[in-house]
Amino acid sequence: MSENPYISYDARILEVKDMTPREKLFTLRFVDPEVGENFSFKPGQFVIVDVRGFGEFPISLCSSPTRKGYIQLCIRKVGRMTKYVHKMQEGKIVGIRGPYGNGFPMEKMEGSNFLLVAGGLGMAPLRSVLWYAIDTGKYDHIWLFYGTKAYEDLLFRDEIVHLLKHGEAMNCSVKLAYEIESPSCIYLERGFSDRVCKGVVTDLFKGEEFDVENTYALICGPPVMYKFVIRELSNRRLSPGRIYMTLERRMRCGIGKCGHCIVGTSTSIKYVCKAGPVFTYWDALSTRGLI
Amino acid sequence: MRYIKLSSKNFERFFKALGIWGKVYGPVKKGDIYSFQEVQRLEEIVLDYNRTMLPPKKFFVRPKDTILRLKNGKWENDVEEGGFVLFGLHSCDIHGLKILDKVYLEEPVDPYYKARRESAFIVGISCIPDEYCFCRSLGTDFAMDGFDLFLHELPDGWLVRVGSVKGHELVWKNEELFDEVTDEDIQHFREFEERRARSFKRKLSKEGLADMLDLAYSSPVWKKYADICLACGNCNMVCPTCRCYEVCDKWINAYEAVRERRYDSCFMENHGLVAGGHNFRPTRLDRFRHRYYCKSYFDPSAGFNCVGCGRCDEFCPAGIEHVKVLDEVRGSLQ
Repeated sequence: MSENPYISYDARILEVKDMTPREKLFTLRFVDPEVGENFSFKPGQFVIVDVRGFGEFPISLCSSPTRKGYIQLCIRKVGRMTKYVHKMQEGKIVGIRGPYGNGFPMEKMEGSNFLLVAGGLGMAPLRSVLWYAIDTGKYDHIWLFYGTKAYEDLLFRDEIVHLLKHGEAMNCSVKLAYEIESPSCIYLERGFSDRVCKGVVTDLFKGEEFDVENTYALICGPPVMYKFVIRELSNRRLSPGRIYMTLERRMRCGIGKCGHCIVGTSTSIKYVCKAGPVFTYWDALSTRGLI
Repeated sequence: MRYIKLSSKNFERFFKALGIWGKVYGPVKKGDIYSFQEVQRLEEIVLDYNRTMLPPKKFFVRPKDTILRLKNGKWENDVEEGGFVLFGLHSCDIHGLKILDKVYLEEPVDPYYKARRESAFIVGISCIPDEYCFCRSLGTDFAMDGFDLFLHELPDGWLVRVGSVKGHELVWKNEELFDEVTDEDIQHFREFEERRARSFKRKLSKEGLADMLDLAYSSPVWKKYADICLACGNCNMVCPTCRCYEVCDKWINAYEAVRERRYDSCFMENHGLVAGGHNFRPTRLDRFRHRYYCKSYFDPSAGFNCVGCGRCDEFCPAGIEHVKVLDEVRGSLQ
C-alpha cells in the first residue's frame, strides 16, 4: 500500500491568534516542504485536521491560495476535538489531509461582480474568496455583507474594519450587521451609518440593486440564513445558477466513503464532501434536504 | 463468457483445489441462521442456503476494522493478510459488491477495500428464491460479471461460467476436472433459469420509482412506518450495499494508538449530527425516509442501491417490509 488517502501530513502550527472567545486562527505550514509545495487548493475547499490518537475533524481553509507557504484555519471551540486543538501552542504538530471538496469556480467567475454574504463563522471560507479576488484583481466589484451576533463575534476584525474604511480603493464595499448592541458597534455605526446597522444580514440588502447579468452571489452561514438570503436574491431576479453556497454536513472521511454527509432523495443522492461543499441554488432546488 | 462443465464426481476435488488461493469461506448453518465462515471440508457448506445474515461485504468493509496504527507519532498501515476464497455467493450479493466497488474504488481509492478485493476469489452459485427475494425486479438476479467462477446447478454437476482471468487460471491449473458443455447441459441450464424466474413471489415495481418516491416526500406512509420502526439499525448492518462507517481513535498503551472504523447506521441519532449540536436529520421520520431514499437511488451506471436480497425484511424485528413500504408510498400519491 503506497498511497493511503487516510494518512495525514505533518503540519506545524506557526501562529495561534485569538479572534473571539470561541474562535482562534491557526496558521500552519507543512513540515515537508515538498508536501507544502504540492498543496494547492481553491477557495471553498476544506481539509481534515488529524489530532493523532484523538480523532479528526473537517474545517474550511480560510486563507487564500494566492498567499503561499502557509494555510490558515479558523477553528471554533465547539466539541471535544476543537477544545483540544484550542489548547495547542505554536510549534506543535497536527496532521492535515486534503484539500477536499469542489471549491468555488473562481475561473468561471472572472470579470464578474461578487456579492459575498456571510453569517458568523461563514466568514471563514468566504475570506478565502475575498483575498483571492483582491489579490488576483481579476474580478469587478466585491460586496461583502457580513452579519454577526455582536461586534465581539466579528471574525478577522482588523481586516474587515480595514476594508470597511479603505475597501473602495480595492474595489470592495463592506457592510456589517449586528444583533446585539455594544459601544464598539455604536461607534462604528456612527462613522459608517450607511454601511453598519443593527439587524440581520438580510437588512443589508435594503436599497441595494445588483447587475444581475454580471454578478455572482456566494453565501455561507448558519443553516437558517440561506432561505432568507436566497429570498432577497431571488426577489432581485438573480439566476439560481449564479448563487453559490457552501454547506456544512458531517464530513467524516472527506472523500465520499463514510456516508455521513449524504443528502438528497431517490433522484438526487449526493455526497456533500465530494459533490460540494459548494453548491448552486439550482442544486438546492433539485436536491431535497440540501438547505 | 467461457462455459465449462464440472461434473458431480469432481466437485470435491474442485473445492480442494480452491484452497491453493487461500482460506475458503462459505455459507454455514448455525442454528437457524446462515453465515459465511471459514470451512475446511465441502460437507460444512450448505449449498442451497437462502441468505446469510451478514452479506459478503463483511470481508471487504469489516464490521470493525483497524486501519491505522500510531507509533512514535506516525501513522502506519495495518498489515493485510493474503488471498481468500468466497465460495457460494448469490448473484444479488455479487451485485451488492459491485455497488460497494463503485464507492470504494472510485478516486481516491480506499486502499483497504482494494487490497481485499484483489485478494478475493469469488465463486458464485445459483439459487432458488424464497418468500423475501425480489432481486428479479431490480435486475440483480443474474450476475454478468463481478465473479471469478459462477456455478449453475445441473442434474449431474455444475455449468461453470468463467468470469475473470483469475478464474480462468484456476480452471487451467485443474483442467482435468472440467469437461466441455453439451447441448443437454445447456437445455438443463435453461430449464433451471426458467423455473427460477417463475419462483419469485415478491415484486417491486421500479418504473419511475425514484421520481415517484421523490414526489411522495410528504406522504403519511413514511410516518406510519417510522412510528413502527425501532430504529435499531439492523437493516443497515445486514444490507449488502449499506456502507456508512464511523471512525474512532483508541489508545492501546501509553505510546500506541489505533484508528478504527466500524459500521454505522443512518438510523442512529448522531448520524447527521455536526459540531455545535445541529442535526440535519433530527427525527426518526427523517432518518427512516433517508434510508429508503438512499436505497432507491438509481445510478445510471450502477443501477439501484438495493439488490433485492430480502435481508432487511427477514431481520427486521418490527416486521417492516421494504417492498411494501415503497409500494404504499407510491400508492399514496393521489
